[in-house]
Amino acid sequence: MKQHDIHHFLRKYFDLNQCPVIDEQNGKITVRLTEELDRLLMNRPFYWEYMKKIGRQGEPAVITFISNPELKEEEGEWIHFGSPRLHQIFDSLLSQGKYTVVYEQTGTKGQNTPLIPWLVTNIKISYKGRQKKDEVLSIGLHLINGAILKPFMEIINPIQMDTAIADYCYTISPLIRVQSAYTRMVRFLETYLKEKDTEWAKEAFDEYQAEKQLLDHFYSVYQEKGEKEGKETRFEEELVQLKKRLMPCIQIEVVNGGMFYLSQHTTDHLLSL
Amino acid sequence: MDIQLQIDRTFPEQLQKRLDQNGPFCAYELFKMAYDTAKHLAIPGFKGLVTPDYLPHMEFLPHQLECARQVVENMNGRAILADEVGLGKTIEAGLILKEYMIRGLAKKVLILVPASLVNQWVSELNEKFYIPAVPQKKSYVFEQFDIVVSSIDTAKRKPYSDIVLNQHYDMVIIDEAHKLRNHKTKNYQFVRKLKKTYCLLLTATPVQNKLTDIFNLVTILKPGYLGSYEEFTEHFGRKKNVLKQEEKLQQLIQNVMVRNRREDTGVNWTKRNIETIWVEFSDEEYEVYLDLEKNVSHTDPFTALTLKREFCSSREACYLSLKKILQKNDHHLKGSIENIIEKIEGLPHHSKAKKVAELIRNSDEKFIVFTEYRASQLYLQWILQQHGISSVPYRGGYKRSKKEWMKQLFQNHAQVLISTEAGGEGINLQFCRNMIHYDLPWNPMRLEQRIGRIHRYGQSKDVHIYYLALKNTLDEQLLSLLYEKLDLFERVIGELDDILERLNIQNLDEEIKEIFARSKSAGEARIKIDNLTAAFHDVTEYPARGGRI
Repeated sequence: MKQHDIHHFLRKYFDLNQCPVIDEQNGKITVRLTEELDRLLMNRPFYWEYMKKIGRQGEPAVITFISNPELKEEEGEWIHFGSPRLHQIFDSLLSQGKYTVVYEQTGTKGQNTPLIPWLVTNIKISYKGRQKKDEVLSIGLHLINGAILKPFMEIINPIQMDTAIADYCYTISPLIRVQSAYTRMVRFLETYLKEKDTEWAKEAFDEYQAEKQLLDHFYSVYQEKGEKEGKETRFEEELVQLKKRLMPCIQIEVVNGGMFYLSQHTTDHLLSL
Repeated sequence: MDIQLQIDRTFPEQLQKRLDQNGPFCAYELFKMAYDTAKHLAIPGFKGLVTPDYLPHMEFLPHQLECARQVVENMNGRAILADEVGLGKTIEAGLILKEYMIRGLAKKVLILVPASLVNQWVSELNEKFYIPAVPQKKSYVFEQFDIVVSSIDTAKRKPYSDIVLNQHYDMVIIDEAHKLRNHKTKNYQFVRKLKKTYCLLLTATPVQNKLTDIFNLVTILKPGYLGSYEEFTEHFGRKKNVLKQEEKLQQLIQNVMVRNRREDTGVNWTKRNIETIWVEFSDEEYEVYLDLEKNVSHTDPFTALTLKREFCSSREACYLSLKKILQKNDHHLKGSIENIIEKIEGLPHHSKAKKVAELIRNSDEKFIVFTEYRASQLYLQWILQQHGISSVPYRGGYKRSKKEWMKQLFQNHAQVLISTEAGGEGINLQFCRNMIHYDLPWNPMRLEQRIGRIHRYGQSKDVHIYYLALKNTLDEQLLSLLYEKLDLFERVIGELDDILERLNIQNLDEEIKEIFARSKSAGEARIKIDNLTAAFHDVTEYPARGGRI
């Protein structure tokens, strides 16, 4: 995230959370938080507890964020990628935006339109070898015929979606259950991962084996000498840590996901891609 | 090759539950923002450091970035950081820790540092790195906080030790790790028992006295990497094999240790001016000194050596030792010692102490004075006070809070800080640029540690280092034989550990003390020191192939 994107990002975040914007300049924004956001960001649970106890309405804080380097000296909180405040906001977004159900806004009038169900999951794949890297992948699965599409969010980006179903639209019931759709996605991912380069994993595994040999040898010397006391458990502990440090693995974690209802027209278009 | 897959299995259940209950669900815009956030936070590549992007306010030096990169990319997160004093080992450790945290590999972290440095580490990690480190104050801290900074003495004490040893730490960082060089100590055993995935050991002197020092440090990181203790001493410990095997050992160690030297860093360091100030004993003082030499030396050279050194420091330091000897009944030196004590009691001020007062009084700047003896420390404080100079004492034995307080006092109020050797490590005093070595330690490595307190990254002015030495005494011998001749500081420091190892000198302190005690005359000592230094020169002129450790 670039520094000049942050302002736009914050504006959107506060709008979505219904925080009134009091002042806004290029790279500087002042907002009044809601109680919910105040509790989330201001780290003052005692204040809210106290207000509740004396039966008064607490007053959410007014806060100014500066993301334009030229305004850095002005009153307000300097915010940048990496600053704890921004990461607090990231964290809150990730937990707030985890599950959704949305419907395509077809704009068709007076005509009954069926909407086809898709399961969408956005997945973070972490490759962990000697180091670690991540890949974020968006997958959609057609819950009638089982077709799988990626990167789903990017593909449907131009399409208007909303949490309320549009007039004259109705949904078709899925044939594939969420649980089994997810299982299919995992299988799809497994195939996807098999086709990827695994040099990183081999490298880590070789390193693991080399270090394990040293460890085996080190502890066997003490075994021979009869110095067994406490060494057995320590050896096992070292081995656990070694595995944790170097044994290659891939972690699959769902960032967020939900049901997406798309018109037949859109669905046909997606499947023809 | 089959790679283990760890799959999030909770998602479909959770979603199904919400579908059955009709929510709660988030707005589409929020959903999209969360997805974008995940993309922003994903680390796209194995290689390189992402930390600098997260800390735009920090200007890291090239050698610090390179060190962190090496540890993360090549050493798999277990390494000795052995830069020379003052090059920013804390910064390097912070960089590495942050990198592992950002990549989601470190959450639970234990940082063990000297008590006097706990607060400094906490504030540096918080302010420079946005790492929410917490100082250990109560026992619950170890359990309730993810990133704890503690002294090793606190952590290894009950009831904390049980808590600490039960935790799984993603990373353990140990500052001043050379204190762990002896594998028989409780501290060493404690550290080996810690359950840790990644581990950083910080020390400017990975080999302080013996080659096995490095073996013990490496064994904390990678047991078996240098073989078993017996194999190691057999391969590398015997004199004959040292030179032949050394290249291999250096290679091995390079894989687990990063060491930067001042001159390799490409940074413009402020200048270091070194000046020796000669002082002469008064006649009465010198008479006592000669008495010590004549009447004690022939029967007990080690005792005489100690007494003479003490007397070069202060009457008080020597007086205490003499009293102790007298307490032992029927000491064979009883008569002559009583005689000496009587003379000492009648002496006026110590000439060296007067010189210190004079030197400081002529300046408005702050000074740090190092002495080896507590008695001298007290005496110096008193004599400075007599000259209207304010000073604060500093000792290794102080509690953390007291050390912090003394440093504050020195920074804000007092002109002088008088420290005993134990205080040499662990405090950073870049706001001061003058240092007086009131006594010279046997081991020149110690001096570098002292000087490193002020001549480090962050010092903006040239520093002035003064050696105080009494003419025609042990001071002069030490200075001329060891310090000047070797010009040890400017050239050999940093290489000294390397050299000692090649010469198979187990313990330099003992070696030098031995030479002085065993020599019947100054001339003999000179010859022996000459031999020692000649060996040093040989080694430096023919450095081992493959670079130094």
